[in-house]
Amino acid sequence: MNKNYLFGSTSGWKRYAPILLLAPGVFLYILIALGPSLATAVYSFTDASGLRGAPVNWIGLDNYDEFLFQGLASRDNIDATLRTLKFSVIVTFVQFTLGLILALLLNQKLRGRTVFRTLFFIPVILGVVIQGLMWKLFLQPRGGPMATMFDWFGAQSEFLGGLPGPAFNWVIVVQIWANVGVTMVIFLAGMQTINTDLYEAARIDGASGWELFRSITWPQLTPAINTNFLLNIVGSLQAWQLFLVLLGYKPGTQVLGYLVFAEGFGQGTSPTFRQGFAAAASIVLFFLVLIIGFVANRYVTWREARYMG
Amino acid sequence: MINKRSWVLSLLVVFALLVAACGDGDSGDTTETTAGDSTATTSGGDAPATTSGGTAEEVTLRVLIHQNPAFTEYMDAFNADFEAANPGVTVDMSIVAPGDMATSIQTRLSANDVDVIDYCVAPCAGFSNAIQPYMTGVEKPAWQQLIEANLIMDLTDEPFIQNFDEATVRDAVSFDGKVYGINMGRNAFSGMFTNVDLLAELGVDIPTTWDELIAACDTINASGNACMTQGGGDTWPIFVGSYGLLGAEFPDQAALSEGLWTGAIKWNEGKALETIERFQVYATEMLESGVTGLSHDEATARYAAGDVAFLPTGTWQGANLEGFEPDFEWTYAPFPGSDNAADNQYLFGKYDLSFLIAEDTPNPDVAKAYLAALSDPDNYQAFVDATGFLPTQPTATLDSVLGNAVSPLLANYRNAFEQIWVAPTGAGQWANAWQAAAWFAPYNEWTDAKALADQAQADLEAGLGG
Amino acid sequence: MTSQTNRMAKDMNPDAPRALAEPKSNIVRSRQVKALSYLILSIFSVFYIWPLFMLINTSLKTFTDYLKDPAGLASSPSLANFGDAWELANFPQYMLNSAIYTATATIIFIITSLFVAFPIARGYFKGSGAILTMYVVALFLPPALIPQFQLILNLGLYNSRAGFILLFLINPIGMIILVNYIKSIPKELDESAAVDGAGYITFVTRVIFPLIRPAVATVTVLHAIGIWNELILPTIYLTNEDLYPITRGLIVFEGVYGSNWPGIAAAVLMLMLPILILFMFLQRYIIGGLTAGAVKG
Repeated sequence: MNKNYLFGSTSGWKRYAPILLLAPGVFLYILIALGPSLATAVYSFTDASGLRGAPVNWIGLDNYDEFLFQGLASRDNIDATLRTLKFSVIVTFVQFTLGLILALLLNQKLRGRTVFRTLFFIPVILGVVIQGLMWKLFLQPRGGPMATMFDWFGAQSEFLGGLPGPAFNWVIVVQIWANVGVTMVIFLAGMQTINTDLYEAARIDGASGWELFRSITWPQLTPAINTNFLLNIVGSLQAWQLFLVLLGYKPGTQVLGYLVFAEGFGQGTSPTFRQGFAAAASIVLFFLVLIIGFVANRYVTWREARYMG
Repeated sequence: MINKRSWVLSLLVVFALLVAACGDGDSGDTTETTAGDSTATTSGGDAPATTSGGTAEEVTLRVLIHQNPAFTEYMDAFNADFEAANPGVTVDMSIVAPGDMATSIQTRLSANDVDVIDYCVAPCAGFSNAIQPYMTGVEKPAWQQLIEANLIMDLTDEPFIQNFDEATVRDAVSFDGKVYGINMGRNAFSGMFTNVDLLAELGVDIPTTWDELIAACDTINASGNACMTQGGGDTWPIFVGSYGLLGAEFPDQAALSEGLWTGAIKWNEGKALETIERFQVYATEMLESGVTGLSHDEATARYAAGDVAFLPTGTWQGANLEGFEPDFEWTYAPFPGSDNAADNQYLFGKYDLSFLIAEDTPNPDVAKAYLAALSDPDNYQAFVDATGFLPTQPTATLDSVLGNAVSPLLANYRNAFEQIWVAPTGAGQWANAWQAAAWFAPYNEWTDAKALADQAQADLEAGLGG
Repeated sequence: MTSQTNRMAKDMNPDAPRALAEPKSNIVRSRQVKALSYLILSIFSVFYIWPLFMLINTSLKTFTDYLKDPAGLASSPSLANFGDAWELANFPQYMLNSAIYTATATIIFIITSLFVAFPIARGYFKGSGAILTMYVVALFLPPALIPQFQLILNLGLYNSRAGFILLFLINPIGMIILVNYIKSIPKELDESAAVDGAGYITFVTRVIFPLIRPAVATVTVLHAIGIWNELILPTIYLTNEDLYPITRGLIVFEGVYGSNWPGIAAAVLMLMLPILILFMFLQRYIIGGLTAGAVKG
């Protein structure tokens, strides 16, 4: 036991209370999440179909080779991978910024702030299928609200049914719209840990609003910032269902998560169960994220060292 | 101290409860299986439908089907009848979303928790996309994987198989000379719903060649009506609507698949190129503007309003069309994609759902009796009436506006390219150029048919190793 | 020991001593800030109220009316869809199951993860860093539907309440929210409590728990939503109709080529109410200032 340990007597079983109490949570986590995920990693080197009674053969790196290098399918796969990255980067930064702005606004003593907070959080409660329905209606090219607004400016768009570029961008918008409520709530929770005395003292020194934000709010929010950063990256990488709901299968818009789903569960044009290949695709995604995550993590550690001491 | 202890205790209680609950689930499973097993052993033999339930034993038959309102409604009624006719049998039917069917079949078979399966794995087309001798290095289709993993029962010698069309049995539910299920119906999607009143009003005959179709569209558009509408917002209806074009240009769809594999046919040459060019005309000139704002069902409702001449899509929309506007007079005619009127008389489509039996079912006789009852000509007629499928039993008829329109064409029914084609491993996405109608602007980024055809051929050859 | 901490919390109540002392120029400025805030919030709100209105509008239409003009106003609004959804989707029975799964799994998850998050955040174990890394890595691990299924199957928990709940006893994101939040609670509190001679469990439940209520409330809401709205796992793991959660009932509105969207809209509007109430209730813990300011930076 670490010498920092502060609680209760230092002898007998009580000494081990923290580790005993930690064990169930960690055990469950290893059992339900980590174990199966590692099994998936092993699957990626096999031709497993995921069916009971079907033989499983070790095929080394064949799945990876097919995914990354074979023919022009690899071009589509790599395009999907890059598209996933683009989606993730844009969503992460925009959602982060908007969430922070909303949290700052709603952390004030405003009449009706409860209503605003609830309103921005409602899409999270409604879930992805309904988010899709709402935006299909909102972006209806024949007389929908957004088409009307475009019309005021003499513009026109096919929105989700049109060119892959704009359609993809609309999915970015919907993803941010749907999840900014979570970012906001986590920032709001984080803001409650900031001691208001700090602001009072700085105000007396004549600090402006921006200076207050820079010198107090931003550094004090470090844990919430880190949380939201991770959360937004993960959320955007797993957003393939939104693509499915809004765009269906449209060449030029697929993201990696969709390919993984389609390959593993026979959803393609000629369906076949390919758990092994799907696993390989998801491991590629994992490594990609690991690299981004590593860079992000370095930044986060640096921030913590700088602001939290 | 009391606090601490109570916390540890409550945690322990929670986990004890969990363990206890696990035990429950386990024992529940076991009893069910044993009950089934005992029935299987006592009621052995080739029992026909009426006597299989003669045993007093309690049997639960687990049936897995996909959600489709008219179909599930029929099944609920059918199950009630089946239970009444077979005392002691309870049908436990689970309904899952169509998109979850593949996963459900996979997991339910793994858990040995299903007796009868509605094999409706997307694209829900029976044993489609079989590996042909000329194909190399492609993955086995899902149904073949299931059969080879010994998860599906061989039904070759069951008498109820004889109730179905020979061609259906051969094309939809057979593999390697053995029969594994019953196919319950077909859909056609190469034709177009045709607005009889509007054409009469404008003095236009139902077009029978490509040029006539173009001329008809010109007349219709000039009159202020729209030639065609489509559920462009869902993307897939655009290329499904172009099926008639592909079928008319290549009435032998199996030969098209083989030709593309062997190199005898190239997407960017001859008839294939012409087909892609016509896809573009259909998608960008014949379809009215703004179809990207319509879902598949919305397009049908829009069509029922009466000022659009054609809706090229699947026969499954016939029932909806009758529902929306009973007075609207329509028929279903082949899409005249070819210059040669004789090539425009085929109907292309797919076999829809099929029922299979799990190899490891503890109640094989009850499961067979269930399929036998589904196959019974009277029941089957009721099924067709309820669902609107094109029948796969020779004695059944589809008595509806759609049925009357389609029946003269049924002799010319063929399996569509989508059910035959398997893209070579490594081929790019554009190799599936039978979907190309949905790739032209404004639906996607292509504007030049030749450029698209070249890309399609390059994507195909990347998979053929050429 | 708790008395001291409680007193600290009371002293720091943030809303109490302000406003009165504000100089005049500040009041004018704060009015401008408020006006600007309302403007920005109103613009945002348009993009939330409008789609929400369209959803409600959709739920009041018949299916045929919807198909004829999906974006238009309901010509003869009717609540029939709500009644249909209540019956067809089997709300009364399935809602109870959903409530059992959501409540049980969320409570167990919160309790177990509290005792994981606290020592990790404080670095009380040699492997704390490694455990945290493990959780972060898990965020990015591939989905493991089939291996997870085989696990539950082999544990004999397939098609049982316990097995289904087991799937929801973890939530790496929730864990990371808790850990990061605890990091913002100063260690001085631990020390003063330890001087008071508090036992470990007492400390975590009586001192830390109230301090991190905003994070616990956030995680509770997010975790509950995840379970309440889950679509695919009930299909895979629960085949006995008696065990179905409410999302399983929603599929009656689906079809192969299109869905009954007005029915789905009505069902989901009813479905969201319990979670909406939970959120509004817990919101005061997320932002309410009950614990705010107790923490010296």
